[in-house]
Parts: sequence; C-alpha cells; structure tokens
Amino acid sequence: MDCYTANWNPLGDSAFYRKYELYSMDWDLKEELRDCLVAAAPYGGPIALLRNPWRKEKAASVRPVLDIYSASGMPLASLLWKSGPVVSLGWSAEEELLCVQEDGAVLVYGLHGDFRRHFSMGNEVLQNRVLDARIFHTEFGSGVAILTGAHRFTLSANVGDLKLRRMPEVPGLQSAPSCWTTLCQDRVAHILLAVGPDLYLLDHAACSSVTPPGLAPGVSSFLQMAVSFTYRHLALFTDTGYIWMGTASLKEKLCEFNCNIRAPPKQMVCTHEFLHEVPAASEEIFKIASMAPGALLLEAQKEYEKESQKADEYLREIQELGQLTQAVQQCIEAAGHEHQPDMQKSLLRAASFGKCFLDRFPPDSFVHMCQDLRVLNAVRDYHIGIPLTYSQYKQLTIQVLLDRLVLRRLYPLAIQICEYLRLPEVQGVSRILAHWACYKVQQKDVSDEDVARAINQKLGDTPGVSYSDIAARAYGCGRTELAIKLLEYEPRSGEQVPLLLKMKRSKLALSKAIESGDTDLVFTVLLHLKNELNRGDFFMTLRNQPMALSLYRQFCKHQELETLKDLYNQDDNHQELGSFHIRASYAAEERIEGRVAALQTAADAFYKAKNEFAAKATEDQMRLLRLQRRLEDELGGEFLDLSLHDTVTTLILGGHNKRAEQLARDFRIPDKRLWWLKLTALADLEDWEELEKFSKSKKSPIGYLPFVEICMKQHNKYEAKKYASRVGPEQKVKALLLVGDVAQAADVAIEHRSEAELSLVLSHCTGATDGATADKIQRARAQAQKNV
Amino acid sequence: MFTLKGNRLPAADVKNIIFFVRPRLELMDIIAENVLSEDRRGPTRDFHILFVPRRSLLCEQRLKDLGVLGSFIHREEYSLDLIPFDGDLLSMESEGAFKECYLEGDQTSLYHAAKGLMTLQALYGTIPQIFGKGECARQVANMMIRMKREFTGSQNLIFPVFDNLLLLDRNVDLLTPLATQLTYEGLIDEIYGIQNSYVKLPPEKFAPKKQGDGGKDLPTEAKKLQLNSAEELYAEIRDKNFNAVGSVLSKKAKIISAAFEERHNAKTVGEIKQFVSQLPHMQAARGSLANHTSIAELIKDVTTSEDFFDKLTVEQEFMSGIDTDKVNNYIEDCIAQKHSLIKVLRLVCLQSVCNSGLKQKVLDYYKREILQTYGYEHILTLHNLEKAGLLKPQTGGRNNYPTIRKTLRLWMDDVNEQNPTDISYVYSGYAPLSVRLAQLLSRPGWRSIEEVLRILPGPHFEERQPLPTGLQKKRQPGENRVTLIFFLGGVTFAEIAALRFLSQLEDGGTEYVIATTKLMNGTSWIEALMEKPF
Repeated sequence: MDCYTANWNPLGDSAFYRKYELYSMDWDLKEELRDCLVAAAPYGGPIALLRNPWRKEKAASVRPVLDIYSASGMPLASLLWKSGPVVSLGWSAEEELLCVQEDGAVLVYGLHGDFRRHFSMGNEVLQNRVLDARIFHTEFGSGVAILTGAHRFTLSANVGDLKLRRMPEVPGLQSAPSCWTTLCQDRVAHILLAVGPDLYLLDHAACSSVTPPGLAPGVSSFLQMAVSFTYRHLALFTDTGYIWMGTASLKEKLCEFNCNIRAPPKQMVCTHEFLHEVPAASEEIFKIASMAPGALLLEAQKEYEKESQKADEYLREIQELGQLTQAVQQCIEAAGHEHQPDMQKSLLRAASFGKCFLDRFPPDSFVHMCQDLRVLNAVRDYHIGIPLTYSQYKQLTIQVLLDRLVLRRLYPLAIQICEYLRLPEVQGVSRILAHWACYKVQQKDVSDEDVARAINQKLGDTPGVSYSDIAARAYGCGRTELAIKLLEYEPRSGEQVPLLLKMKRSKLALSKAIESGDTDLVFTVLLHLKNELNRGDFFMTLRNQPMALSLYRQFCKHQELETLKDLYNQDDNHQELGSFHIRASYAAEERIEGRVAALQTAADAFYKAKNEFAAKATEDQMRLLRLQRRLEDELGGEFLDLSLHDTVTTLILGGHNKRAEQLARDFRIPDKRLWWLKLTALADLEDWEELEKFSKSKKSPIGYLPFVEICMKQHNKYEAKKYASRVGPEQKVKALLLVGDVAQAADVAIEHRSEAELSLVLSHCTGATDGATADKIQRARAQAQKNV
Repeated sequence: MFTLKGNRLPAADVKNIIFFVRPRLELMDIIAENVLSEDRRGPTRDFHILFVPRRSLLCEQRLKDLGVLGSFIHREEYSLDLIPFDGDLLSMESEGAFKECYLEGDQTSLYHAAKGLMTLQALYGTIPQIFGKGECARQVANMMIRMKREFTGSQNLIFPVFDNLLLLDRNVDLLTPLATQLTYEGLIDEIYGIQNSYVKLPPEKFAPKKQGDGGKDLPTEAKKLQLNSAEELYAEIRDKNFNAVGSVLSKKAKIISAAFEERHNAKTVGEIKQFVSQLPHMQAARGSLANHTSIAELIKDVTTSEDFFDKLTVEQEFMSGIDTDKVNNYIEDCIAQKHSLIKVLRLVCLQSVCNSGLKQKVLDYYKREILQTYGYEHILTLHNLEKAGLLKPQTGGRNNYPTIRKTLRLWMDDVNEQNPTDISYVYSGYAPLSVRLAQLLSRPGWRSIEEVLRILPGPHFEERQPLPTGLQKKRQPGENRVTLIFFLGGVTFAEIAALRFLSQLEDGGTEYVIATTKLMNGTSWIEALMEKPF
C-alpha cells in the first residue's frame, strides 16, 4: 500500500471524500454513453442502457436497443426496442426497469428484460406528450414525475399503487423550466423547478416561490440541480459557474464554490467508480498522523507481526488511555467500510489482536462483521456484481439482499448464504427453493413430468415450501397440468382446493376436500359445483361421494327442502322419503285433507321401502286424524294431534264411554293398557261407582294392586280398601300396607313365611301403635330361625 | 355477555359487539337479524365475529348472502376444541356430535376432534401409539396422520406426556349410557342433569337452618352448585357407588365436629391462634359437607322409591341376560301409565342392545305401543334410534350379547360397592364395555379378545407415530403409562369414574386422561336423538 489516503479529497474542513474503482467494466460498448439513455439502480443494482433512443427511423438496424447489465457490466439482457420513443429510464426499488415513453405510457421490465406490465400517466400526459421525466424513490416505493409539453407536472409517488397527481400550474411558465427535480419532504413528494433566476416549489396544493439563503448575487439562471439520495441535501448550478450547496429544505446553506464552467453537462452518469464520504471510523484510523486508538492498534499489530517491541509500546499507549475497547471497535467498524479484502483482513486482524488484551469483550460484533464481510465480498464479486457498501447492506437487510439474488436467479449463492448465516429454513433455504421452483415452472421447453419431478426432488418435504404457491405460478404460465401435478405434493388440502377450483378442476377439488375431512372445505366445493354443473351432473357427482352427499343433504334439510326430496328420489331412498313426507304433513299442511294426503304419500313410500310397520302405522294415523276431526265437529273440544291413548282418555273424561270403547276396539288397544287407561281416567274423574263397575266387568288383566294404588293417590282409603281384599296373594302385603292395615299385613307375611315381606312390614311399624305387631313379627322370625 | 337471540340486540351502551358462535347456518340467520335491526337505530356499533372452534366459509357466504358480511370488522376463529373440565377430563361439549356422526354422516365434529388432538400433541408431545375401535375412530386417526404431514418440518420437540391414545366410537358400546349410573356423580347427573359442571337443585333442602326462623320463607330459586375435584370432599365421593357415600359423609361429619371441638382444648394464645388459622378451611369443609349431605338426601329419596328399584331390577336383568327376548311387563306398565317417553325409550333400547336386536314381533309391539300412547309423530324418533342402531330387529336370529358379556366379563355377581375391586361397581354389577376395552388393551392386549372385537361394529386398529430417539421414554420400573382415551360421541360420568378407579389401582400400570365430544347420560343422549316435527 503506497499511501492509503491517496484517493481522499477534502470537502470543506471536516470531511473527506474518497473514490475508488469497483470494477473495470466488462461491457463492450459501441456507442458513447452520451448517445444513450442510461439508468443505474441504487444499492449496487443493475444498469440499463438504451441505445439510439432518439432515432426516429423505423429501419430495424437502427432501432433502439435496450441492454441491461449488472453493476459489474455483465450482460443480463438485450432486446430490440419496438415500442414508442423513450424519454426516460429508471429503476424502481424492486429492481424493475421503468421506461417512460413520450406518450406517457410507462413500460415495466424485469432484470432479465422480461416485460412485466405497463401503465399510463393519464390522458393529459398523452395529449401533451412527455417533455421530461424522472424516476425517484421515496419511503413508500418508487415514483414517476412527468413534465408535459404543456409545462405541467404530473406525478405518482408509488408506481406499485398508482395514484396520479396533477401538480398546480406554475404562474407565467411559458417554456420548459431550465431545470427541475423531485424532492420528498414530510412523506410528500414535491417538485422544485427553476425558471430563469426564480425557484418554485410545487406541492399538490400550491406553487410557492423560494429563495436559497446566502445565494451569491448575479445569478440569472439555474442550469442544473441535484438532490442527495436521502433528500437531505441539494446542489444548484448556475449560469455563472457558481455552485450552491445546502439543505433541501432551502433553510440552510452548507457551502458554495465557483467552478468557472458555464455549460452544464448533458447527462451525468457515475457507473463504475465509487464516490463516497469517508466514514468516521476509517478517517480516524487512516488520517495522516492520526493518534486515534484504532490507528495505534493497527500500528501495534503490524509491529507485532514484524516481531518488534514497538508493538508493546503502542499497546501500552492505548491501554494507558483506557481506549483499547474503543480501538477494537474502531478497527471492526473500519473493516466494514473497506472494499479490499486485504485491508478488511488487516483491520480485523488488528481488532482480533487487541481483543486478546481485553477481558470479556463481547464477541458478537467481531463475529457478525466477519460474517457480513464474507457475504458482502461474495456478492461484490465480479460475476455477481452487486457492489453494496456495508451501510447499504445493513439498510437493505439480508432478506432483501436474498430477494435480489433470487431476482438474478443466483439460487445457489443465495442458498449458500442462507446456510452460512444459519438462517431458519422457512426464511432462508425454503424460500429460495420455492423461488427457484417458481422459475423452473416457467421453463416451457421442459415437460410437465420432468419439471414436477425435478421440483419434488429438490424440495422434497422441505418445511415452509408451499407447493400450492408454485402450482399457482405454473397455472399463471398456462401450465394447468403441471399445476395439478405439483398440487399432488401439497400436503395441506386447504391450499390445494382453492387453486383446483380456480383451475376448474372442481371434481378433483371435491375429492381432495373430502380427503382432508374438513367439512367446511367440502361445503365450499359443493356450493361451487352446484353453480358450475347442471343439476343432473351435480347429483351424479354427489352420488359417487357418499360423504359429500350426506353433507349436502344436511345443508338441504335446512336450506332447500325440495332438493332434499329430489336427492332421496334419485337414490330410491323410500324410507327417508317417508320420513320427509311425515315432516311435511306437520310442517307445511294446515288442512286436514292436505295432511292426510301427505301421510298417504309417506305410507306409499314406506310400502316401497318394505317397511310394513311404518306404512300401517301411518295409515292408522290417517284414520285417527279423520276421526279426530269428526269428534271435534260432533263433540266440540280439541282432539287433533292427540295420541290415540289420549284421545280415548279424553272421551272417557268427557263421559263418552261408548265412543271410547269403540275407538279402543277399532285400533286394537291391548287389554292391559286399556285397563290402565280407564282406571287412571275414572280415578281422575273420581267416578268411584263407575270404577267399581269397571273392576267387576271381568277379571282384571293388571291385577287389583293398581286400583289400590290409584285410590290412595286420590286419598280415598275407603275405596282403596275395597280393592285391597281382591289383590292376589303375591302383592297382598303391599296392598295392605298401602291402605295402612299393618296388623293384617303382618298376618299375611307370617303366613307366607317370607323374610322379605316380614322386614317390609316391620319397616312400616311405627313405635306406639304397632308395637304388638312388631313383637309378633319378631316372634315369627325367631320361630323361622329355629325351624331352619 | 348475552345469549344469542333473534330480533334486536339487548340495549347496552357499548361501541363494540362481539359474537361468539358455533359455525352453524341457523345461527348466521339470527346474527344477520341482530345486525340488520341494529343498523336502523341509534349510534353505529362495531361488530366482530369469532367462530368457535373454526371459521367457516359456508357461514361467511351465508352472511354475505344476507348482506351483512361487510358489517363485521373482524372475522376470526377461537380454536377452542377441547375444554378442560377437570385435571383429567376434556370435553368438546358438542351436543350434536353423536347424531351428526352416526345419523347424518356429518364428520365435522370428528375433524374438530382431530384438530383438538393435534393441539394437544403440540402442547404435550407426539403420542407414540394410537389405538382405536370403530368407524369414527378410524376417521379421526386418518385425519391426525394427515394433519401431521401438513405440519412437516415444524418438528415437535416436546417430551411426550401421553404414551397411548385410545379412540373409541360410542357406537361400539351403545349399552353403557342406557343403564342408570349408580355413582354419586352419575346419579346427580341422571336425576338433576349436570350442565357445564354446574347442577341446579331444588332449594328446600338447602334452606339455612336458623333458630326461630320457623321455615317461613323457603328459597324459591334453584340452588346452583359447581361440581369438580377442586372441592376436596366431592373429589373423594364423586366416583363412589352411591351406597358407599353415606358412610363417608358420616365419617367426615365426625371428623369435622371433632375438629371444631378442638377449640375447647386450645388454652394458650399460640394454640388459639393456630385453631383460628384453620377456621376458614374447616368452615369450607363444613359447608361442603352440608351441601353434599343435602344432595345425598335428595338422591336417596329417589333411589329408595319403589319405581327406581323396579326399573333398576329390569335393567340389571337385561344386562345379565335374563328375559331379553320377550315383551317386558315393567316396560309395558310404564307405557300404559305414560311414564316419561325417554325413560321408556332407554329401557326398550337397553333391551334391544342386550339382545343384539329384538325379535320383529317384540319390536313392532313396543313401537306400536309407543306410537299409540305418546303420539304418532314419534315415529321419526323411532326411525332415528333404528338408524343409530339403538333399536333394531335381530338379524340372523343370533344373539351375540352373551358372548360379549362372558368374554369381557360385563356382568359381575360379586360386586363390592363399598371397597370395589372391579369397575363393575359403578353400575352395581355391570362393568361398562367401553372401559373394559380400555382395561384389556393395557393388559393383556386386544389380541386376547379378537373374536369379540370382530363382533363389535367398526374396525380396530393400531398406528405408530415414530418419535426422534431423544424423545423416546425410558420407563422407570413401576412407572405408570399414561393413556389418553377419547370417546367419540360422548361419555358418562360412570365411565369416567370407572377409568379413575383403574388409574388409582396400585398395580394398574396405566393412568387415564379422558377426552370426549360431550359429557352425557342416557337421557340427554336419547333426547338429542329425538325429533319433534311440531
């Protein structure tokens, strides 16, 4: 190293600028740059050149040619320009090339010259043509500003979300302004323009005149203006060769100087040289005769390598001042700002050397810097051509850098970086592979099978890879079959189904949805199919998918009853049809004849279903309904929808015993139940006389205990006792206890010699009154014991 | 917090309204009605909807059709699949699950069950072995395996808490819920119905016994009590046979009064202080004892009634295989006296299940009796029961139940209610089939009962979910396995009691954690299957 600061130029008193060559450009330019429209993307992005942009001839040989190069001059794309004349080129933040045509149309191209889309800057621009255009960057994205032939400005602050804004008129502006630029302040885009000696600031509401503070007198025209990338600083070049530099807010002057050149440059391009302010850390270390701790540490390390004792002297000097930590930090930081690996290494070596003499210096900054520099050196490589500075890299973030590598189809390098930095798979490798796959599906010369297989081989079950996203891309390229093949690898049905529906593979979507078990997904496909297919086809599809069919039936039960009937009909499901008509007979029909008719249909269906029982029961119900109607007409009162049992009960309660008997016979109510029924009804009526008559009509099929029970329930002990005597021996004790005849119950129990009955009676014995009975039982028990 | 109702929302001075709903279409109609009637008056409100447990495209489409989808600022899901009810009990509380799965072919609840199991695995580690019996169990296992594939990559690195998962279809064991539960908790549920771990009881027995009160103003509002194992006494008695509860309660009463008597012995300030510090605990214990004594009295009134005894006798006859093939007198009388239809249906279904279906003549007789007595409209309910397999004609003229009963030892004559030695204590003789299956799975394994497994409906299967070597368990000698048992279609408290009994067995070797679609009993089960067309 001859003299490290040889390429430093002072700026003012306190700052230096340095300039060094990044690449010797590889391109083979036939034209001079001044004959081309040139656009270099920020952050070490690509460079676009449009040759012969101003030729109007239509001959193919002299048509404009658009070339795209990497920052190191590697050709990325070249295409013949077949559209209209281009006024301006520029790169968006997403590294898309925006070509502003004279007619106000903006054509958007990718890094590889692939046409992406186009948009128009509006009718006003179309009518008045584009005089000049600028692409600018704001925190929201990239914008386009247009100066039209009518000397009006139109701009859009974000081409991703196109909102055109026509700026207010500049009073008295008859010709094009001598120079103009876009500014971005307080998140709003403005335009600064110069008309002769006057400066105007345009915002979306108004046009105001402005004057830079401390401007030297005698300026009759501003010829050029330039604004810094951050919109913080502004430079103005006047016809007197005077340059004013200050803040972009025009509130403060920073410096001025006279360069004695009066003609403005036609276009200023800076492509392969790198000019920047020397960062503070580097300045501290490398400034001639610097005594900063970093500088001393670097010196110490060099001496140490030479095995000179001076190393110790330097080190002591730093340590005495207690600045070793600071020295190490300076060296690490300065290494970041170095472009040459050799220089980076020697600074890092110095830092590492210094670290040895420090207790507990946190290693993170050193380790991260080494990692970052390796990444940066890799992408700065000539073949890659992304000459990012350390600060730019930090601003851009690793994620964006990876995106840019992906955009350049540098998948292997991107994956290596991910692996080197040990990024989580989902953010790192998987994402890159997914991008690779999306690119792969666009290769039209490879067969569907091969692409699908190649993708699956590489991706396998890598976590975080969405096969459906890749399939969607394939579908977007018109490769439906490939998309379907790729979807086969997608394990998440929720992702498969929507795309399959979009591709009109509804039946496949249906079987995928069913496989998943997610019923909501199945419903979604079903409703889709229902709209897409005619009814017949839809039903046929359902028929082959039992799970979908039952779900759709449930849906119809709530939403479309008629469809439900059709579905049952289609399947010859007569049993369900029967139930369907029963429901209908209750729900839909008011008139009795309507109800009976619905039931008749139900009965017919049950016969077809070979459900004899249901058919007969339904016919009985039809008979009962008609009869209940007649009863209502003849006797008044309410009978409809009572059960047969309750109808008979109601008749008895109303004193229509004859009719009740008739009904019971007609519908063959079993004897036992009829006895219970009558017993209950007569007791309810407290018609004891009729009850006794009934009890004597023939031998009770239910015995006489129920008679006792029901009388006691009505608190009629007198009647109860009548029946207790008729209760059979098995239940006699129970009956006697019910009517409270404990003594007799005891006698019967003793007679029966039943231990269970004895203890039952005993449990009913109450102290005072039944003492004798209790004793009697105890004696009987003792007797029984003896006998055993 | 309000329950969802039609028409206008209740008046409340609030800006934001959040709907928590199950994703069901009927509910969407109600919500739309709410929102539409809201817009017409007063200040505008912000609406949000949270679907439990999952968002549904179908429901959102419905809201869109009704023109209110745009009114919702947030449409999210609250993935509450399994709700913890106790330390060892989780339920989805999905009432319709059994009907949907077995009657309507709608597997939505199975999907949610699988999702719930995935969540559980995400929290407590991958369960290395899955066993199952039944069609629905198979479906859930399939979905789980499928969902696991969807999560590939996100390796679960949690050490597994559960060793096994056992998925059981309710229709493998239709018998158990039909029988009357005889544990303390089971009886509370049978008689009063436990809803979301709360029970409402008649207030009379809980009236504060104050002197000079004269019992004038008895409380009229039902007494609401929370029942779970956080209450020490309840934890002790909930799973006991009811006949063993009385002695525990009187023993407790003695201990507590003895503890209160201690105060007379407290002489020094230190002793008094110690006594006072125990007071809150003692008072809580006394309150708890008073409550459970009252509940036990209420239950005893029922269990000592003649009708309860008769019903139990019939049930036990059926379960032990006596006279299952002819019309039963008691059931006949119940119908003739118009006892509750659900009671009758439970008994008829029990008889049908214990006889592998009824003879056509017997079945038709019961059906006819039911329709004539309770009304023709119940024909739809009968159809449902037949579809679910609860009620059916015997086919092939063969009754498989005795084989199942003998092989699985479902009926135990020598049951000890006080100090049980077998799970059959929970039904005083009948050992719940479902729990017997779980017991036999853990020891000696299902291979020993292949024949019975083939008789029971649906496939039985085993799946393994391989674990990375680092997560494989090295079992200490004497360490219990933990089995998560999932009842698809519902579980009863008696079954839970039986499983807890197995967990506590000293040489049992297996501890159970229980999950289900719904905590239920025979009554709520039959009720869910009933259909009333008007």
